Amino acid sequence: MGRILIVDDTMFMRTLLKNILFSGGHDIVGEAADGAEAVARYQELKPDLVTMDVVMPKVNGIEALKAIKAADPSAKVIMCTAVGQEQMVKLAVKSGARGYIVKPFQAPKVLEEVKNVLSA
Amino acid sequence: MKSVPVKVEHEGRWVATTMGIGEDRFRIDAPLNREIPYKSVVDLEEKKNQIVVTAGANGETVCRIASVEKVLTVLKKFIITQASAYRLNAFFMSPAIRGGVLIQDAKWEKGAIAVMKTGIWFVSQENQVCIPLEDVAGIELTSREIQEKDLNVVKIDHLTENEVVTSFVLCPMTTLQVLYNFLKEATHDSEVHEEIDPLTGQVAMLVYSGMDSSAIENMLKLSHKDLDAIYERLLEMGLAEVLYVRKEVQLTAKGVRYISDSVKSPIA
Repeated sequence: MGRILIVDDTMFMRTLLKNILFSGGHDIVGEAADGAEAVARYQELKPDLVTMDVVMPKVNGIEALKAIKAADPSAKVIMCTAVGQEQMVKLAVKSGARGYIVKPFQAPKVLEEVKNVLSA
Repeated sequence: MKSVPVKVEHEGRWVATTMGIGEDRFRIDAPLNREIPYKSVVDLEEKKNQIVVTAGANGETVCRIASVEKVLTVLKKFIITQASAYRLNAFFMSPAIRGGVLIQDAKWEKGAIAVMKTGIWFVSQENQVCIPLEDVAGIELTSREIQEKDLNVVKIDHLTENEVVTSFVLCPMTTLQVLYNFLKEATHDSEVHEEIDPLTGQVAMLVYSGMDSSAIENMLKLSHKDLDAIYERLLEMGLAEVLYVRKEVQLTAKGVRYISDSVKSPIA
């Protein structure tokens, strides 16, 4: 089970992900509502995994991913975005994302993906 | 015509018989004694290890056939490629997204698509995928980056064993438009026209994600009664169905006595 940082600008999605990940036995070590906060929280908490929304105010998810990977190349980040923004996948993968979740998502598949990335 | 053992439904029960699979037709031996040209087939459905073949202009011949996967695969391929259906050559990717998780090693497969009465079939050298129309949850004409080019694709969201799966179809734009229009028309009944308030929408999203009633009540700070009222709205609009009815109970005098007694001598 992993220590996870959840990054999303909407409280609703953060709470949903928190519930799903908690039900899978994971420890939610922190939350962030934008990319800049995500980078700061990552440095502070050193989580095993980050779930990162792509579209966020201030610093977006891709920029935050790049900053986290620059500071810690072994960081495990799963990107999370809305339907219709799958085009971001290539960019995210190129920037070092380990997985990609498209909203809306189903709990069992999210847990499976988190497990795969954590054990990789 | 090579004969293979199969089971067919006859007069309400399954009977063992043999079936011949030819280049342009298949034959089912006694007790059915039927020969069906593939081109007369108007529908093909798949249910686990059986298929349902409907043939004839008015769908007057219906054969339910059960057999090993290998036999059904050969039969399905002949039917899909020759049946009376709208057929097009296309590339498809199915599944591309499963339960919201992008399948990173999903590949485009070159093959054909047959649009039948109750479903769409994708068939390639290696795969046969059926999407029943009643399981289609969304259709979109969109673009996707393929080999560094933005190309038009039809995106189909569909249910497979309670999982939401997304598949993509790629073919020339004119054909794509025909496919999109057909699917839109065929699934018109499942389009949502009602106004849905934000709270009901959030509850629907949580149900989609697999949250149970207690988790939803906690997350949205709703009472049991409020959540029931929202469920009622979802049911009325046909957006949800009852999975099971949860019971809330209180103890009877007998139950209270049991608890009181158990405190005196702890429950084993």
